[in-house]
Amino acid sequence: MTVKGTLPTLILEALVREPTHGYRIAQRIKERSKGVLDFREGTLYPALHKLENDGLVDSFEEVENGRPRRYYRITKSGRAMLAKDRAEWRELSRAVTIILEGAQ
Amino acid sequence: MTPALDWWLQQATRRLSKESAAQVRAEIQEHYESAREVAIAGGASPDEAGRTALSALGDPKIANAQYRRVLLTASEARVLREGNWEARVVCSTSWLRWLLSAVSLVALLAAGALLRAGSIAPGRVLLALSLGIGFALLSLQLPIYTPSRARVFRYFRWITQAGLLLLAFGPGALKIQWLLIVCAWQLTWVEVQRASIRRKLPVANWPRQLYL
Repeated sequence: MTVKGTLPTLILEALVREPTHGYRIAQRIKERSKGVLDFREGTLYPALHKLENDGLVDSFEEVENGRPRRYYRITKSGRAMLAKDRAEWRELSRAVTIILEGAQ
Repeated sequence: MTPALDWWLQQATRRLSKESAAQVRAEIQEHYESAREVAIAGGASPDEAGRTALSALGDPKIANAQYRRVLLTASEARVLREGNWEARVVCSTSWLRWLLSAVSLVALLAAGALLRAGSIAPGRVLLALSLGIGFALLSLQLPIYTPSRARVFRYFRWITQAGLLLLAFGPGALKIQWLLIVCAWQLTWVEVQRASIRRKLPVANWPRQLYL
């Protein structure tokens, strides 16, 4: 299942604890949603580039197991955006729950 | 690289600039290798691991459409590379700046003389030419280094260009509308490309031409 437009927020959430590379971001999202949220991994990088262009994440190269890898790190504006997205999501999900439970 | 991954990358990098395509190839290959290693560590055969890693990437056409929204395409890279040659030539050649300033001044004086003598139509064309060259030269010197100033400048520039056309041709502009449409089409195409580049490049990486 994917919820349209939520991938950037999920990426920011995956980066909030520590910087990491693209593959681990994808795995974190899938693991933390217990496999419910699934997305095509080829679309992860366009979303990362957009976040980088908007200054919400930045990237740097690091060598892991002798291989250079691009790591992504959330910025201060990224954290502010994540806090805003969290608040909006809570409000939205509360409103949808009220409507759906009221319909039963 | 496997032929299947190569095919996926070819589809995903269609119409991207060389630099963007190289970036996509590097990050997707890195991702594919990680996914393949994890699958092999989980007991899959190398072939099976490769297939799993590739299918997790999804449809390359969808990835391509999304990449084209955030990375420079080949045509945008060309606009960025070649779209500013006039300004570069004028800025780097001092005698050309002086020549254009002189042309602008002479056109202004000639326009004044023609208008006084009652030759309204050629006088207006010369006046518009003089003001147009003056405006173009001035714009290269203006301190426009922030996106908000650049936006205000671009609105002002469009209004000025339209005003100069009206000044030059007046109601007669309708008679040469085919010429205006051809010119406007080219200007609009470059402007659309530049707007797209502005969305894709971080402001810190904007070259001077994107502000103007």
